[in-house]
Amino acid sequence: MRLFGRTAALAAGAALLAAGCNGGPGGGGGKISDGKVVLAVLNDQSGVYADLSGKNSVEAVKMAIADFKAKYGAKAVAKKIEVVTADHQNKPEVANSKAQELYDRQHADLILDVPTSSAALAVANVAKARKKLFMDIGAGTTALEGAQCNKYTFHYGYNTYMLAHGTGDTVTKDGGKNWYIIYPDYAFGQDMNKSFTAAIQGAGGTIVKNDPTPFPNDNFSTFLLKAPGLKPKPQVLGAMQAGGDLVNLVKQYNEYKLRDKGIGLAVGLMFLTDIHSVGPDALAGTKFSDAWYWNESQENRAWADRFQARTGKRPTFAHAANYSAAMQYLEAVQRAGTDKSDAVVKQLEGYKFNDVFAKNGTIRAQDHLLLHDAYLAQVKPSAEVKEPWDYEKILKTIPADQAFQQPDSACRL
Amino acid sequence: MLEQAFNGLVGGAFYALLALGLAVIFGMLGVVNFAHGAFYMLGAFGAYMLLTDWGVSFWVALGVVPVGLGLIGVVVERLLIRRLAGLDPLYNFLLTFGLALILQDLMKREYGAQSQPYPRPSALSGTVDLGLFSYPAYQVFVLGVAIVTCLAVWYVLSRTRAGMVVRAATERPELTRALGIDVGRWVTPVFGVGIALAGLAGVLAAPMRAVNPLMGSDLIIAVFAVVVIGGLGSIFGSVAAGFAVGLFTALANLYVPALSQTLVFILMVAVLLWRPAGLFGREEGIA
Amino acid sequence: MIIRLLAGRPILLAVGLLAALTLPWVIYPPVAMDMICWALFAVAVDLLLGFTGLLSFGHAAFWGTAAYVSGLIAVHSGLPFPVAVLAGALAAATLAVPIGWLSVRSTGIYFAMVTLAFAQLVYFVANQWRGLTGGENGLQGIPRDLFGVDLSDPFFFYYAGLPIILAGLWCAWRVVRSPFGRVLVAVRDNPARARALGYPVEKYKLLAFVLSAALSGLAGGLFAIGHGFVSLQEVYWTTSGQAVMMVVLGGIGTLWGGVIGAGLIVELNDYLATAGFEEIGIVTGTVFAATVLIFRRGIWGTARHLLTGHSGRRGRAGAGRSAAADGEAVRA
Repeated sequence: MRLFGRTAALAAGAALLAAGCNGGPGGGGGKISDGKVVLAVLNDQSGVYADLSGKNSVEAVKMAIADFKAKYGAKAVAKKIEVVTADHQNKPEVANSKAQELYDRQHADLILDVPTSSAALAVANVAKARKKLFMDIGAGTTALEGAQCNKYTFHYGYNTYMLAHGTGDTVTKDGGKNWYIIYPDYAFGQDMNKSFTAAIQGAGGTIVKNDPTPFPNDNFSTFLLKAPGLKPKPQVLGAMQAGGDLVNLVKQYNEYKLRDKGIGLAVGLMFLTDIHSVGPDALAGTKFSDAWYWNESQENRAWADRFQARTGKRPTFAHAANYSAAMQYLEAVQRAGTDKSDAVVKQLEGYKFNDVFAKNGTIRAQDHLLLHDAYLAQVKPSAEVKEPWDYEKILKTIPADQAFQQPDSACRL
Repeated sequence: MLEQAFNGLVGGAFYALLALGLAVIFGMLGVVNFAHGAFYMLGAFGAYMLLTDWGVSFWVALGVVPVGLGLIGVVVERLLIRRLAGLDPLYNFLLTFGLALILQDLMKREYGAQSQPYPRPSALSGTVDLGLFSYPAYQVFVLGVAIVTCLAVWYVLSRTRAGMVVRAATERPELTRALGIDVGRWVTPVFGVGIALAGLAGVLAAPMRAVNPLMGSDLIIAVFAVVVIGGLGSIFGSVAAGFAVGLFTALANLYVPALSQTLVFILMVAVLLWRPAGLFGREEGIA
Repeated sequence: MIIRLLAGRPILLAVGLLAALTLPWVIYPPVAMDMICWALFAVAVDLLLGFTGLLSFGHAAFWGTAAYVSGLIAVHSGLPFPVAVLAGALAAATLAVPIGWLSVRSTGIYFAMVTLAFAQLVYFVANQWRGLTGGENGLQGIPRDLFGVDLSDPFFFYYAGLPIILAGLWCAWRVVRSPFGRVLVAVRDNPARARALGYPVEKYKLLAFVLSAALSGLAGGLFAIGHGFVSLQEVYWTTSGQAVMMVVLGGIGTLWGGVIGAGLIVELNDYLATAGFEEIGIVTGTVFAATVLIFRRGIWGTARHLLTGHSGRRGRAGAGRSAAADGEAVRA
């Protein structure tokens, strides 16, 4: 059995306490705990969200470290930077104990990614208790910057508000007034249901019915059969499923030929990898909100080329956001001159920047939500796809200050 | 409404096939096979592997996979189950529980927890007009295969000598042995057939439900409840309860969605209160 | 007999106690906490399996219910955590009355399946009752409070929780040693004879069931407070299965076996997970299947068998440990 460094930990704790009493933020250099900065990527590495983030996000974080080292060289405050990773299997209890282990045993200074909203909320609680940083990318729930926000948790990339207002607004205003929403029955899905309902009603649409579906689920036949019989008949099936569940749902949607029955499909959250696995034709014309697209600009494309050289795939927005979050964290450590949580948090709060992922980015100080430009995208039919992975057409840019919600008064950092 | 009822029967077909296999194995060996769900999962993966690694079609897999799994079942019975024969049947329950864990996680290691896609055979990709409504052809096919299989098993059990021995041993075990009928030689084949039925259900499930390592583990608990409802010793009861539970679940889905997953267990409690041996079981059966 | 063995060997007790006291110095404290919670859970399952002859495959219902109740009380009332844990155990015992009443009418494999199905029912109720349990999200942010003392350090919390576990274990030992425990063994070995002697067999079984559920609840409640989090996993059937595995691995009908089995399985799980091997079932399933096939006495049973050379208990009623552990049919 391992010997747990109890005394060492106690000593370190005492030292931390002493340091906290003495030093203000950004005090002298070389103040790196355990002599190294440890970035932990905690995500789904074998389940439904493995493709859209998973192990390739670890690669993205490694790219950030390499770029950071190249930029600062010998001037870097953090000389030794490590990446550790764990699989949370999308289960909140696994995420909870893995997060504790990453912070305690692996000495992680930051946990990144954590898709699945229930798992993300669990990790946010651990981060709060351990007073260590957590930057969530993969989860969409607005509770992270709402009722469950805390000083050490940042929400970086997207949220259900952003998705709903991009997609719900546009589709409703384009004539899809009556919606039948089906959402997976967990934090993310419930949140999506709420956000979409608000957005659709705000745009003058009606929710005919909204049904929770089990998660994960592979059989949506009950709901698909039910749709045409609803009164009034829905014009849009709003699917809030994500990842592998979405892929199954889209397949079954096509099998039951709902489009021919006059029921269009709107998708709440879609990643590039989802379009890749269903094939663009099954989804052609579907409009959805995206946080980033690899082929949107030369800068994005250049980064995507480097990513593809390492992984063989084009990046989803989650990969780019992991890169960006790791980079911004390291930059904040550099500015703070230490990796102590409170000092780094202070550097991140209110920080304005532009990088490959976040255009017009601001980390809002009140609730630690990253504001940045979002996009309304449309799936191209295969005839228009010019090269592998080139599935999206960007219809418009939603400016950073409109893409996200106002701070929630329930959030007290 | 009718569509949903039909949908329920299709779901019930899987319950029925699994409960049937579970019931004949229990009847012959006194063993409740916890790994039954895992073999169902292996059936689906078998079809998936044949398709992706060798390009073998669904139709071939439908024949090959159940037979292959049946043979694996024979080996498992010979090497493992048999060693615990004569002991408390709980040991075999525990052994098959361990087996289920191993099989499930082996597939997870190989393929990940993610669902693997399996395309519908092209001949069955359309819809069929059933008069009152049209329905995806594949689902109709699944229901047909399940009914034919159950009838075939019924025919074998009631019209052939081997079947009668098995049925006698299942439903009146003490009496059969007392009559000096050699039950032992039928144990291994029956176990194999039970596993093959689970494999068949798995292959049928592959194009309809997503193929993943956990697909059997939740289903098997519901199937346990189904056989408790039907009566553990009763072959007919298991099949009937399978279809009935499928039907009720679908209707619950329509009217009280919150109940859809709990319903089978609520039915079980109701049946236990009313007839502790299950609807078609005999009192002595509860042992 | 385990009781005599124990009484005759206070050394054993001392070693056990010493191990419990030093555990968090040797092992990562949250893992140590898991170990002792699971140890009590396994002992509770053994109380039923080893001493009453009933294999429950649904004890997660009690462990999980207690976890939710303890967690909810801690979250909403701010009472000291031992009160929350006791309330959880009480809730588990209450739930065990109807479930037990319906289940103890069946025995053997039937009992295992019925309890399993009941546990799954509880699982779906917990899943649906989102307002209370948090559903898939779980119940989060459970405080660890003891009269204002901050126990957020898992190292200190271990020592705060240990007395509860020890009390639970002591209770299990007392039950087995009591006249009640002897009647249970008699019921297990020969229910017809016990009934003929005038014992209300079903009532004894039900009482054992409720007691076992209460102890499982005690463990589950503390587990919830220790993790600060309750998820649906706690009421899921794999949790029941894990407890049974621990008992079988350690040795059915030995009580100590449950403790050893829990320690080994928790450590194994932790070791494999830390090593990045997520498919733990391959290893635990193999170990478990091998135990069932090759050494059904389990670790503690085998060790004691070798040490004492005590083997003449085939089919002897009241021999103090499960005939089942010797591979004898106890089919009722």
